Amino acid sequence: MVNYIIRRLVISVFLLLGVGIVSWVVIQLPPGDFATTYEAFLTAQGGMTQQQVQEAADRLRAQLGLDQPQVIQYLNWMKGIVTQGKFGYSFAYRRDVGELIGERLIYTMILAIAAHSISTFVGIFIGIYIAQRKYSLSDNAASVLAFVLASVPRFWIALVIAYLMVFILNQHHITSFFSPQYALEPWSLAKVGDFIQHVWPVVFIAGLGGVARNLRVMRGNLLDVLSAQYVTTARSKGLEEGKVIRRHAVPNALHPIIAYQGTVLPYMFQGEMEAAIVLGIPTLGPLFYESLVSQDIYISGGLLFIYAALIVFGNLIADVSLALFDPRIRYN
Amino acid sequence: MDSTDTILQPQEPKTPFDKVAAETLLSESAQHESYFQLVWRRFRRSKAAIVGALLVLALVILAVFADFFSPYPLREAKLQDAFIPPSTVRFVDAEGNFHLRPFVYAEEVTINLKTFEPTWTENTDTTYAIRFFVKGWEYKILGLIPSNLHLFGVEEGGLIHLMGTDKFGRDLFGKSCEAGRISLTMAMFGTLISVTIGSVLGVASGYYGGRADTAIQRFVEFVNCFPQLPLWMALAAIVPRTWDSFSIFVIMAFIFALLSWTTLEREVRGKVLAFRQSDFVLAAKEMGASDKRIIFLHLYPNTLSHVLVILTLTIPAIILAEAFLSFLGIGIQEPLISWGLLMRNAQNLQTLGLYPWVMSPVFFIIAAVLGFNFMGDGLRDAADPYATM
Repeated sequence: MVNYIIRRLVISVFLLLGVGIVSWVVIQLPPGDFATTYEAFLTAQGGMTQQQVQEAADRLRAQLGLDQPQVIQYLNWMKGIVTQGKFGYSFAYRRDVGELIGERLIYTMILAIAAHSISTFVGIFIGIYIAQRKYSLSDNAASVLAFVLASVPRFWIALVIAYLMVFILNQHHITSFFSPQYALEPWSLAKVGDFIQHVWPVVFIAGLGGVARNLRVMRGNLLDVLSAQYVTTARSKGLEEGKVIRRHAVPNALHPIIAYQGTVLPYMFQGEMEAAIVLGIPTLGPLFYESLVSQDIYISGGLLFIYAALIVFGNLIADVSLALFDPRIRYN
Repeated sequence: MDSTDTILQPQEPKTPFDKVAAETLLSESAQHESYFQLVWRRFRRSKAAIVGALLVLALVILAVFADFFSPYPLREAKLQDAFIPPSTVRFVDAEGNFHLRPFVYAEEVTINLKTFEPTWTENTDTTYAIRFFVKGWEYKILGLIPSNLHLFGVEEGGLIHLMGTDKFGRDLFGKSCEAGRISLTMAMFGTLISVTIGSVLGVASGYYGGRADTAIQRFVEFVNCFPQLPLWMALAAIVPRTWDSFSIFVIMAFIFALLSWTTLEREVRGKVLAFRQSDFVLAAKEMGASDKRIIFLHLYPNTLSHVLVILTLTIPAIILAEAFLSFLGIGIQEPLISWGLLMRNAQNLQTLGLYPWVMSPVFFIIAAVLGFNFMGDGLRDAADPYATM
């Protein structure tokens, strides 16, 4: 088991290195390098001659090592991330990208994990409920609803929620985490309430698809388990149905859900991203989108790396927890 | 060797040749249903799958004959007709009289002098009857046959915009029909590329095994650990805006294909791996069939139904992604038009609040995604017709 976990860790490190290469390529693909952007930035600011601008750009090139071969540049970039948490410099924000990402990452994680856990629990409970009532009205309704939810563009749900909130309910709880009066306050219960009022649409939208998926997987698994012989045995020895479900069926139907967590996580991040961009909630999503539009390459590349890293970690956690929870799986 | 020789000796038929029995056998085997007939039979039984297929068919027809369905020229912008709300098609007029022929009321515009925002109101004094198969603006059917026939239109002076108009006064219904051309072909083209990549790698991985298999599987794991949406967005944003529309279209399709092929690769590999050891493949090998023959005649056809299922489920995923990217302005670029691009005005909260119908192209997206999803679900149940339900 320990061997398996160590092996998974080593693979994850290699995956991260690969992910870093692709993120780096994305940074390098647009024509010109970082110093070219700097040139444009200085020219736009004015007050310098063409030659001065050129010299300043060259100095920056030498300083950042942009005149060195790609491989060295890549290794330097990775070294900065790993040792100092530095992802490069953003002109739009005039700060290091690492700091920018850091403060938003916490909120993104809170929202994605909230959406993830809520959708897992809701999905599992609805799945258990309808599996016991196969082909009933509630089963069919839930299945159709799950299907429709997976087919509706999330950015449109976000638009509808924004429309309803702002123009029908006259609530202006979008485009920020807090109402102005709470923005600088220390954390309190009222502030948490205010926070929830602002971010629930993002959690809701990101979670919807997850509920639909978990529900279908749980329903299918539980139906499979319920037709197993040990369930029949449990029933025939006179165990009440609730106990059969709780003690015998559900624990055995849960494993695929755990194995599935790794694949659901990216889905949550994407949902969070889509909703946050449309609603303007300042998490990583809008930052990523703005950086793409304004060609702020170090933000785009850094965020791409962060997103992929989160997925790698998510998969790692899912694999390890499956190894811990499912005694049927042997690792040698 | 002796024993095998005796086994291979032709044995005397125990019963004399029965012509009638042989003929019944022949005619029965002619009536025997092929694999795809069986799949079709099962597919047909699922109502949802049929509804899905019809939805997709309807969207394709609307897209191909968009000029016929659009009452207004697709290439013209009429700025004075900006932000007209969807017309209400009526049978009963303000006095409560019933009209057999549907009609619309006249639309009148008032401009807010402070903000210059147009507000349209219905004037119940004037009615315009809706006519079907009317002659209108000129176009070419499929780009070949000149015609000026349109499905519907109103009498001279009236306006009919089933889904309203956008900032440029373009009829959103007609434009949505036309946008289906790009949205649907983009999704299908992207899916086709991803199916090709997935099939080739899947067959290679499953059939040849060994090192190639290991390498391909590691690569699949690597590709899978990329978040689809962010990478799609990053790559789409890099595509230079100065390229011509066709190049942008092709490159976008490739970008979407880039991350969508892994599910299919896994599925094809699994099937090929399972069939590689089956009797019919071993028999073909013993008879000296080449790898090419075994792969294309025996192995790949057996994975086709599963390929078809994943294909139908990849298309809606690409439709959704393309819509979101185009909605953000980093996907399809004007003059090409897609459903997401048509909804771009809705990104502005003020526009959205005043003219909520700018979101209406979403109904085409939902119809397309639902249609393909229903179809894919039906196909999944039908793909294995030998299993009992």
